[in-house]
Amino acid sequence: MIEVVVGALVYSNLLAMLSVGLNLILLTCKVSNFAHGDFVMVGVYTALTVSTILGVTPYACLPFALIAGGVISFALYRVVFEPLRTRANLVMLMVVSMALDIILRYSLHIYADLAQAWLKVHTRLFLFDDFLIEFSGVKIPGVLVFSSLTSVILLVSLYLLLFKTRLGTAMRASIENPELAEALGVNVKMVFGLSWFLSGALAAAAGVFLPFRAMVSPDTGWSMLLPTFASVIVGGVGSLSGSLIGAYTIGVAEVFLTYVLASLGVSTAYRPLVSFSAIITVLLVSPKGLSGFLNGKGWKPWKS
Amino acid sequence: MEVLTFVLSLGTLYSIYVILAASMELEYGELGLPNFAKVAFFAVGAFTVGALSVRLCATLTGVALEGEFKLRSYYYATLLSARISSNPLLGLTVFLVTLIVAVPLSMLLGILASYPALRLREDYLATTLIAFSEILRVITRNYEPLLGGTFGAGVVDFLAWLRSPWRELTMLVLCSSLAAGIWFIQYKLSTSPFGRALRAIRDDELASVAYGKDVAKIRAWTMAIGSGMASVAGVLYAFYIGSVNPDDFTVARTFLVVLMVTVGGRGNPYGSLVGAATYLLLDRVMLFIKHNIPLPFDVNYFSYIILGILILVIIVRKPEGLIPERPPLTVKLNKISESNIIQHNTEK
Repeated sequence: MIEVVVGALVYSNLLAMLSVGLNLILLTCKVSNFAHGDFVMVGVYTALTVSTILGVTPYACLPFALIAGGVISFALYRVVFEPLRTRANLVMLMVVSMALDIILRYSLHIYADLAQAWLKVHTRLFLFDDFLIEFSGVKIPGVLVFSSLTSVILLVSLYLLLFKTRLGTAMRASIENPELAEALGVNVKMVFGLSWFLSGALAAAAGVFLPFRAMVSPDTGWSMLLPTFASVIVGGVGSLSGSLIGAYTIGVAEVFLTYVLASLGVSTAYRPLVSFSAIITVLLVSPKGLSGFLNGKGWKPWKS
Repeated sequence: MEVLTFVLSLGTLYSIYVILAASMELEYGELGLPNFAKVAFFAVGAFTVGALSVRLCATLTGVALEGEFKLRSYYYATLLSARISSNPLLGLTVFLVTLIVAVPLSMLLGILASYPALRLREDYLATTLIAFSEILRVITRNYEPLLGGTFGAGVVDFLAWLRSPWRELTMLVLCSSLAAGIWFIQYKLSTSPFGRALRAIRDDELASVAYGKDVAKIRAWTMAIGSGMASVAGVLYAFYIGSVNPDDFTVARTFLVVLMVTVGGRGNPYGSLVGAATYLLLDRVMLFIKHNIPLPFDVNYFSYIILGILILVIIVRKPEGLIPERPPLTVKLNKISESNIIQHNTEK
């Protein structure tokens, strides 16, 4: 049972980092970014590579993963999404992000093949070694402590950046009305690029913790993607704090429902159904999500 | 001989892809409804064959099915194919019955899937449909009595009564004539008043409502037609491959169809033909490279990367596709000018 609670918490922490990043992109560039799951895998493989080369615990590779994920995400924005920003419609942007998902995923596959030969470690279906941390006699898995710390620190700094700095004001202004912000001298391109960097960095940070709990391959990014979308949608599209609530709702619901169903004899392979059906139900029934319930804010994904 | 097999299988696959691309062209290209659950409707066709062909054939021949379906379906598929080899009528019955079951089923699901489009913005609609298609895949993958789960299901060979080159040739003729028929339906719909209504809804939904178009009904019909088409492709695919595995029907397949339509040109009925050909050409070139040029990694990965880059380049450089949309000529030009001249003359 404790194992289930730990699993749910770690999973929710990762979903929180992922869904806030995904929502940031939805807010700024209106891109339903299907390549978001691959940023996670960029984090995973950065951590694997650096920890193997330096011989340190993967936790210490967090800064490298942050930078790698952020830089790749920023590069994608500059090369692909910026030229399309004013031209393409919503579905086109989505198709573009799916193409990027495919490019990134199979590049990672090739990287995994090459790294296996080069580093002499398993690059598919591997697990990171974890250790226990003792708090006044209670032993807690390190991944729970570190993933909670990381997600809290990163999300609080994101909050501070958005709401307490001039740059954050510029970012929020560009989200509200890019043309007006641009007219007032905000470098919208730079601001959007920054939001892509932050989104990619958050996702890659989540990636560092993923292999502690689940065996991964470059395709795992896809299986993290739809739960992330579910978190964003449940929390309410357009509300970053809503995504946070959505992530913990989906994370806990997914793990516990699977646990309950498994004890009733239903296969755990049905687990993805929780988040898939959450997407459909919430969008059709209460499209503003939880944040719409709580404060009436948030966007309607419905047609006006 | 090898060349013949290659050409026959290429033609069959091309026909199946043309059907899929034509249905997507109608829904996404003309109506602007991003049906990203395309693979689900394709799968409905294939799954019907997987679930029914062995059982139906066994019932018709009086063979009792024993043991678990997931373990025995391939064995019975081989056994029953042998029965079909002496009884062509049985094979045709199996083919027709699966087609008759799959198409209405898929059309109904299509009508159901058209309703979220009433409310949702396009990108959320696409996400919803992707979730829908993944739900179908996860359930069929894990519910073993239906399709054998990850084992997949064996499919009887309904053309077992023909010998080797003739069997493949018949399959090709069957697939290509169905594909030609479906493409022609799509072409006719696209150039008809119905097609103009579709493009009107795509370009300005509010205006078409104001002009009295029943948008919900038109959407439901288009989805029904498109989904019916996709399920025909699924039935053909299942019989062509000879087995059905739920893991074959991932979102990647939807993406391939979107790619064909985008590359070919959205809104142009010829786009589906060109798009499917482009994809297949690229795929075969990659296969050729894989077999003839040694590389330190799996070329399949590389071919996916090339596909991704191709669609990026098309969208960034030539968003209208290889064959851009043109306003269809519904009345022949010379007829218009003739009638104008007559009118002109009478006015004089």
